[in-house]
Amino acid sequence: MEIITVNDVVKDYSGHRPLDHVNLNIDEGCVYGLLGPNGAGKTSLIRILNQITRPDSGEVLLNGKPMTQEDVMHIGYLPEERGLYKKMKVLDHIMFLGRLKGMSKNDARKAAEEWLERMDLSEWSNKKIEALSKGMAQKVQFISTVVHNPKLLIFDEPFSGFDPVNTEQLKKEILRLNQNGSTILFSTHNMASVEEVCDKFSLINNSKVVLQGNVNEIRRKFAKHLYRIHIAEPVLAPDDSLFTIESVKPHQLGGCNATIKLNPGVEIRHAIESLNRTYNLMGFEEILPSMHEIFIETVTGKNE
Amino acid sequence: MNKDRLFIIIQREYKAIVAKKSFIIVTLLAPVLMIGLMCIPALLMNINSSDARQIAIVDLSGKYGKEFKNTDEYSFSILENVPTEKIKQEYKDSDGGIYAILVIPANVETTKQVNIYSDNPVKISLNEEIEDVLNKSLSEAKISSYDIPGLSEIIENSRISVSVKSHTWDDDGENVSSSTLSMIIGMGLAMLTYMFVLIYGAMIMSSVVEDKTNRIVEVIVSSCRPLELMLGKIISIALVGLTQIAVWAVFTGIGLFAISALGIASTSPDAAAQLQGDMSQLPLSEGEEIVQAILGVDWIKILAIFVLYFIGGYLLYAALFAGFGSAVDQQSDANQFMTPVMMIIILALLIGEGCMQDPDGTLGVVCSFIPFTSPIVMMIRLPYEVPAWEIAVSILLLYGTALLLTFFASRIYRTGILMYGRKVTFKELLKWAR
Repeated sequence: MEIITVNDVVKDYSGHRPLDHVNLNIDEGCVYGLLGPNGAGKTSLIRILNQITRPDSGEVLLNGKPMTQEDVMHIGYLPEERGLYKKMKVLDHIMFLGRLKGMSKNDARKAAEEWLERMDLSEWSNKKIEALSKGMAQKVQFISTVVHNPKLLIFDEPFSGFDPVNTEQLKKEILRLNQNGSTILFSTHNMASVEEVCDKFSLINNSKVVLQGNVNEIRRKFAKHLYRIHIAEPVLAPDDSLFTIESVKPHQLGGCNATIKLNPGVEIRHAIESLNRTYNLMGFEEILPSMHEIFIETVTGKNE
Repeated sequence: MNKDRLFIIIQREYKAIVAKKSFIIVTLLAPVLMIGLMCIPALLMNINSSDARQIAIVDLSGKYGKEFKNTDEYSFSILENVPTEKIKQEYKDSDGGIYAILVIPANVETTKQVNIYSDNPVKISLNEEIEDVLNKSLSEAKISSYDIPGLSEIIENSRISVSVKSHTWDDDGENVSSSTLSMIIGMGLAMLTYMFVLIYGAMIMSSVVEDKTNRIVEVIVSSCRPLELMLGKIISIALVGLTQIAVWAVFTGIGLFAISALGIASTSPDAAAQLQGDMSQLPLSEGEEIVQAILGVDWIKILAIFVLYFIGGYLLYAALFAGFGSAVDQQSDANQFMTPVMMIIILALLIGEGCMQDPDGTLGVVCSFIPFTSPIVMMIRLPYEVPAWEIAVSILLLYGTALLLTFFASRIYRTGILMYGRKVTFKELLKWAR
């Protein structure tokens, strides 16, 4: 079941087209990454999903039906540029945003208090936002996004501005929300987090989707038949029929580490058998390209 | 549009402003200042009167010196049989005590001149006091010197002051009216509209800009329509304004009551006399006639029409302020758009003032149809009986324009609030509005 379907969306500003025939499907319950360099059109797309702006052509479906203004009640949105009313008290602020999303006063209070507890902010609930540290304010912003327990959560660069400890906590909470049934869409530059948490992604560059799909499948597709091996012997001899050696380094526990590239058509088990006959093979591992490499390769059009 | 959300936004915006320290301070201090301004002159007069200045009179005529009676400000004493030169010398050598010496020459009836000597130029009030006393006594002396029986009564009777008492017709018959009162009512209502639009319009603008500077606006418009946020602001700030005015009215009322109860203002007979003097300058010399005139005004009609114009005018200018506010990032950039709007409001007030002389003149009639000026200009004309059709057309135009402007402002607002780091021109605003 697709929770979000983006069909051929075009957005035009005068002299600039931030979205050019964009298609995108987000399955219910998945964690979806929206990647792309700055200015690629990610925020434009996210604003359209949030009904803040409208596409000039194309359509956005939610659960298969054209999206309306009232559908934003089921969406939680954390914009890249964070902002809170500095003079408001923490609890009031979270309740205000929860109520705007259609919660009753009591539900909003209950949910807000639960979340403050969970994020270790209970004792701050009656303090003004301006009294909070930046990290705490970020947490309040996060709580404000999720307090109404939305079916779809949209995070624009959720980890920017967080320290490693809070990043970890945030990641944990996002995954927990996902396990509880929320679909997550987030845009990020942090490629490591994409590998870690995303099921699928779209890479947008120059207003167009240039790469799209399942994270692991794409990584496999981009695989360059590179393998990292560890042998007990200090030297690895080349074997032109099977592989070429990319690099060899002595291993700190003895022997050496090498990166080899299998020749086209060579099966992995043949390579392992052949190596095992000659050496004490202690490790054999495929090197998949990181999302970082795929990102750069796709965006700049160059192989590293 | 969703009423619940609008209500939640109004609630938040209202609380946010009313809870501000600066708002509370201004709201509480303004009446204190106002009362202070009213009381200080009276208090000062009290202080002055406690030490009356000594005026020595050398009366060479031997007649008019005794006409001077002590007042709160001055006490007069007549020096008998002292040569003028000697006393001048003594006075110069002495170190105070006497403020000035008044020398009335023997032939004052013909010269019509007296001399006053002092260290420093004397206060104008002393000159006036002396002139008043001598004018009166010299006139009386002159009159009695003609030796015509009953002349002073004849002269007294021939002093005539005419007052104009105006009446207007309405369905119930005749009413006593007053053009001065009409002027005061018109100007008062116009000023109220003018101040309200100016003060609270600017407040709308800064509230819009603040949301943008805070970057909160993107979060809010992902939960509600920009129109709801904009209307929420406009309505909540109107409520803030009414709250503030209500507090001021109550406080000023309590303050004035307390003051009159304590009798601070009334202890100064001068101030009371002055007040009466001011009143008597009005063509209505009798208090009764003022009351009659006030009762003669059709307050319900005037106030009902005022409320319509007040709301319409506020909405019209509020839309302008909100729309323009969304186009700038910072308070300091707001002037570019603020100035033209302010100019229109000020112009409206100036035209209104001009209309006071001739409420049915062409300028007044035309400007009471133009929606940008009508809320102010019509207030001036209103107490002078404006034809009903004029009011109806003018109100329709006002509300039509206000709705239209709100619509365009909301379109500008929608685009503007998410636009950062760019100096927007009027031309671009027009494009957004389309």
